[in-house]
Amino acid sequence: MPEQPNSPSNKLLGTSDSFRLLVETVKDYAIVMLDPDGYVASWNVGAERIKGYRQDEIVGKHFSCFYPLDAIERGVPQEELEAAAREGRFEDEGWRVRKDGKQFWASVVITALREKDGTLRGFGKVTRDLTERKRTEERLQQQSREIMELSTPVMQVWRGVVVAPLIGSLDSQRTQQFMERLLNRIVETNSPMALVDIMGVPTIDTQTAQHLVETISAVRLLGAQVVLTGVQPAIAQTLVHLGIDLSDITTRSSLAAGLLVALDMLNLQVVAKDLRS
Amino acid sequence: MAHEDISVIRLRDLLLVTVPPDPDDQTISVLQERVLDAMARQDCRGLVLDISTVQILDSFFARTVAETVQMVSLMGGRTVLAGMRASVAITATQLGLTMGKALTALDVDRAFDLLGALPPKGDGYE
Repeated sequence: MPEQPNSPSNKLLGTSDSFRLLVETVKDYAIVMLDPDGYVASWNVGAERIKGYRQDEIVGKHFSCFYPLDAIERGVPQEELEAAAREGRFEDEGWRVRKDGKQFWASVVITALREKDGTLRGFGKVTRDLTERKRTEERLQQQSREIMELSTPVMQVWRGVVVAPLIGSLDSQRTQQFMERLLNRIVETNSPMALVDIMGVPTIDTQTAQHLVETISAVRLLGAQVVLTGVQPAIAQTLVHLGIDLSDITTRSSLAAGLLVALDMLNLQVVAKDLRS
Repeated sequence: MAHEDISVIRLRDLLLVTVPPDPDDQTISVLQERVLDAMARQDCRGLVLDISTVQILDSFFARTVAETVQMVSLMGGRTVLAGMRASVAITATQLGLTMGKALTALDVDRAFDLLGALPPKGDGYE
């Protein structure tokens, strides 16, 4: 550790010494100076922590050893230096390699450092380890995919009747997936009736309604009919206020009522057991 | 595509035509003619178009089918499209291809049920 300032009267800020101290001791960023050809000229504690090399091991080595092999083969390190020299700075996120061979997801900024007369003195390279954030992002994406899978089940509830409860809002990607599932299920189960329940759809807008209408016309092309169920008061109000015309679609407020419609269309009837027999 | 492949089968008072898997424009036109010929020769009250093997549907196909439905209707018959594949239905919807006033059914069996259950055309049903 460099020596600590011994008195508060020490004018810490504004001196180049204290600035050097900051760069050398900051642990969360790897702050590295490169010479104009890309050889490491200085190293800090953060760089040692993130990349694994000690200062005496790395100073004088070429900075391409931080990159994965395939990136080196594609000439990425050189390209990045050239871009930084050309544009003044270069920013990138990608996989980099530690001394022990493990990869980490890095956010890198390379800044060209020039003398007053414009000659290139070298590069400043600031690297952050964003592996955790990257993993979190990937986990989130996977989870949202899973949620999407989970939220569009299509179940057969009677011979010839399938039910598809919709939960959450319908964007075009979900519509596509929902449509595929529903239509495939209808064909698989040879069901002429499909109940689409929108009880779990919080709000409806023109786009969602459009997606619903599209799905329903695709189902009709197959030769099946859709009953839209679970139309809540708020949804009914919104539909009318938005001027969305669903008049050629059978709609019901509850799934139970929809099921009755479906059974009726299939010429089926639910009757009470005769208790006397 | 050999046009001899297209057969128009008469079953009771209905016509059954199976559309080949990958029909070109000419095949579709020939199909339309044969269907109308058969409607004229044999007094039929309906047509079932089995499209369960069709994998790709283009705008020409869609338009010809819609026209055929109208023509058959003018000759006093109803048309049912039977067995459209899920993927075809999705594509057709996304491309905005409608099949005119064609009735649809999940398969040929249900198409016959449907036509059998409907009263003959011209009895004030439409």
